[in-house]
Amino acid sequence: MSDWLWGVSRVWLRYYDVFTKSVVFYVVTTFVQPVLYLLAFGVGVGALVGILNANGTPVTYRSFVFSGVIGQTALFSGFFEGAYGAFVRMYYQRVFQAIAITPITLSEVLWGELLWDATKAAVAAEGVALIGVLTGDFSPWSLLTLVPVCFFGSFLFAGMGLMSAAYARDIDQLSYPQYLLVMPMFLFCGVFYPIEALPQALQVVAWVFPLTAVNSLVRTLTLGLPFQWWAVPILFAWLTLLVVLSRRAMFRRLVK
Amino acid sequence: MSDQSPPPLRVANLSKSYRLPGGGAFEAVHDVSFEVTAKQCFGLLGPNGAGKSTTIQCICGFYPPTTGNVFISGIDVHTKPKQARQGLGVCNQEDTLDSDFNVTNQLIRHAAYFYIDRHTARDRAQKLLERFGLTDKATQMIESLSGGLRRRLQVARALISEPKVLVLDEPTTGLDPDARRELWEVLTEAREKGTAILLSTHYMDEAERLCDRIAIIYKGRILDIDSPERLIKKHIARDEVEEEVRPGVLWKRKPNLEDVYLKLTGSRLGVEGL
Repeated sequence: MSDWLWGVSRVWLRYYDVFTKSVVFYVVTTFVQPVLYLLAFGVGVGALVGILNANGTPVTYRSFVFSGVIGQTALFSGFFEGAYGAFVRMYYQRVFQAIAITPITLSEVLWGELLWDATKAAVAAEGVALIGVLTGDFSPWSLLTLVPVCFFGSFLFAGMGLMSAAYARDIDQLSYPQYLLVMPMFLFCGVFYPIEALPQALQVVAWVFPLTAVNSLVRTLTLGLPFQWWAVPILFAWLTLLVVLSRRAMFRRLVK
Repeated sequence: MSDQSPPPLRVANLSKSYRLPGGGAFEAVHDVSFEVTAKQCFGLLGPNGAGKSTTIQCICGFYPPTTGNVFISGIDVHTKPKQARQGLGVCNQEDTLDSDFNVTNQLIRHAAYFYIDRHTARDRAQKLLERFGLTDKATQMIESLSGGLRRRLQVARALISEPKVLVLDEPTTGLDPDARRELWEVLTEAREKGTAILLSTHYMDEAERLCDRIAIIYKGRILDIDSPERLIKKHIARDEVEEEVRPGVLWKRKPNLEDVYLKLTGSRLGVEGL
């Protein structure tokens, strides 16, 4: 166990070292997009909608969107780091191959990759939550209670990204999961409107995709919406599935 | 039981099959066995696709062997990769330098994967860069280095952990004659310090010049293992061979490793006296 932890932490630290060289890049690429959504939808559309009924509870549209952008940030940040970031590291830089012939094993390299992607995305999601706290939309407490949801949600989306990277023959093919999985989740899993507004059948479909579960849990913690318990098993089922499958796919791709 | 310490590298009856898409298997390496002792340079000589890289991937513990074992200083690299690879330095065929780090940090970061503390790593990195003539590039990023310098840095990186075994997969492929010679010097020096070297190549002159022992590998099988001189003596009985290099132009010359290789693999015609 301590050997494993040591190996994984070396990999994590490699990413951290690269990250600290370009914090400005991270801040711009991570926060500009959510802030634009917050302004355009939260403030802009929010002025038109005012109060809306979410899962039986009245909330301001601005708070509703702010909380939705937390999950959306975990999705984008986790998926893109796990997909494009890992693909570049695996295919162009051959970082995985270089590390996995030292005393660190490929298994540890992949855990390090997933945990780093998850950490980075979770911090980004918490950053969005912090904006919501500063604007008075959420209580400061929620920053703390959100940690597990942000982390496991980001972990899950990182697994989705890594799995895409493992199956992509070239970098262009990453557009398939991006347009067929990430974009639909972004638009139909309750980031911008309560999924109760959708027809019943689409609601069921929306619940199949993991962002709905993440959004539901985030809103329970930030806005006090009723707890939808099934969000927890959905999140952890996806997490387990994607982590196991993404690692297996990457092993198959690299180890003959 | 002997009280001798195990050799730095021992490959025992290594076979490796790949599953083919659509069923079936392709045996890339068949029953390969050899040993490399300290201060020895051992060459795997064979054409592209002979199984050299597959053998090396198995030696690194990256590919699991189908049957057989690889021992680094007596430790099985597949059952105990962490311990075994502590004594292994590898220079891959492809460029695997980490382009996110500059030349010095590249070495220090790599040392971290071997439980080497930062202070020791910095010391070693400095010395290696000196030895490899890279000191003036210490703070440069990888992209700015030429192919020859990158390759040298990759070898330097493989030596940062002071390995007992240094494995190089076609280290001079694609390098110009100058860069090749510089790399040969560096390898000779590492070997004099006691490192066991395994290198794969398809260059006969490189094998003849650097290696004490050579395994000629063809279609996944070792055809013969010996010193270059003995291989020539054993397989080419004559002192002179004739080759028609252009129509009507005959060259007479001393037999070399290439003749042995061609004779064993039976892959080319035109040399008389083999």
